[in-house]
Amino acid sequence: MRIREVVIAVSVALVVLLLAYVIEAGGLGPIAPRELRELAASYLVNAYNPWNVTQSALSLEAVTAIVWDYRGLDTFFETSVLFASIVGVSLVFRGYRERLGIGGRGLSEIVKTSTRVLLPLILIAGVSVALHGHLTPGGGFQGGSFIAVLLVLMSIVFSLDFVVERGLTSGRLLALRSVGLIGVLATSVALLAAGLALGVEAYIFQNVAREGSELSMPQWLLDRPTGGTLIFFNMFEALAVAAGLALAFLVLSLREEEVREALGVGEWYE
Amino acid sequence: MEVVPISIAAAAALLSVAATYLAVRSGDLLAAVVLSAVQSVAYALIYYILMAPDIALVYIPVSVGVLPAVTVLLIKKTERYEV
Amino acid sequence: MSDPVPFLFTVVLLSLVANIGISLYGVFTRPSLVKKFISLTIFSDTLNSFAIAIGFRRVIGSYPSAAVLSSLPREPGELSAFASAAVDPLPQALVLTAIVIGLAVFMFLAGLIAMYYRHYGTTRMV
Repeated sequence: MRIREVVIAVSVALVVLLLAYVIEAGGLGPIAPRELRELAASYLVNAYNPWNVTQSALSLEAVTAIVWDYRGLDTFFETSVLFASIVGVSLVFRGYRERLGIGGRGLSEIVKTSTRVLLPLILIAGVSVALHGHLTPGGGFQGGSFIAVLLVLMSIVFSLDFVVERGLTSGRLLALRSVGLIGVLATSVALLAAGLALGVEAYIFQNVAREGSELSMPQWLLDRPTGGTLIFFNMFEALAVAAGLALAFLVLSLREEEVREALGVGEWYE
Repeated sequence: MEVVPISIAAAAALLSVAATYLAVRSGDLLAAVVLSAVQSVAYALIYYILMAPDIALVYIPVSVGVLPAVTVLLIKKTERYEV
Repeated sequence: MSDPVPFLFTVVLLSLVANIGISLYGVFTRPSLVKKFISLTIFSDTLNSFAIAIGFRRVIGSYPSAAVLSSLPREPGELSAFASAAVDPLPQALVLTAIVIGLAVFMFLAGLIAMYYRHYGTTRMV
């Protein structure tokens, strides 16, 4: 036992010293450099570049442009990982269903009243952050997390019964989650399908006109740029993230009675 | 020009070290959750100062909002005191 | 008086290194699974912070701006001026998805720990 603790302490200290040495010796590159890497400069110049449309994402925000255009395929599969872990959470508690009338009635009236004022504000902030993802800092992931916090707050302050009575059952959340994922998929192949139908060349994850393909998503909504596919991606991703995280939280906050019923008493419980 | 924001970032980083140390040492798991939320707030401030507003926007709901709630739920379902 | 910014930035980075050490210590030595879970979240956050710190840069004469154009550019010159003052957006894009997916994976882990407790009646591992 003593030797084990000494080994752990020495190895952790070694890791820390090694990392500190790497940083001090400039192993991560110069600390806070004055020059920009070439790759980053090209992303920044091309994120919104109407004079070089074939290499641009037409998004004022470079981060959203990278997430959903330049590295869109990467983000698509990361969304699939997110979906897989939500499915994993539901599988651990498989076979449950929500029951009303057990458990608490939530927090005090003062907290409930102030939360009632807060809820629409959080919802509006989340939707706004998601829909303006290509114009201001934000995007689908940020907006989705905002809206997920909304449901967490509701289930803590008003009790789980309140959430279920409003129709936000886990089945519906899973359906919303799937709608979001299908929306992301449909947006990513929309121009490819249009190209196949019109008989012209197009690419998967195509946003605006690219080399060899003139097809383009609508670039302007009234007087605002839409970033082509980016606004759709942000919208559907916000839906998927919000519903997925809310579903995972709902499943994790199931009461003892529901879980025991789902698993079958006796064999599993103690 | 840069000294004031970076000093705030350094102070936040030192605060996060203190919070992490206390969170790992604490025997009361509920106190550990609160301390790790303090560490998350310090990190969010660092992200903002390092000019990553996207990350600050996603990090605050995730690490200060949902994750402590999940951990408190977990503690409620299991046990509160370590050892 | 020399430039204090590299020193302060080194303080930030070394604090993150210290956080890595402390959280790994928590993962390895604390007996409770829930404490291991909390330490693991701190560990993943710290690694993400390193990626953000790598993307930071310094600009002569002003504070660097975020990687967001504040208005529609009217001429190509505005774009190169923007690129000469903004931070690197690539690490931010990578960390953004990592944080949300990390949350979902940690929720899965929380469900597993709850099941472990249901099965064995304790969260002690040693």
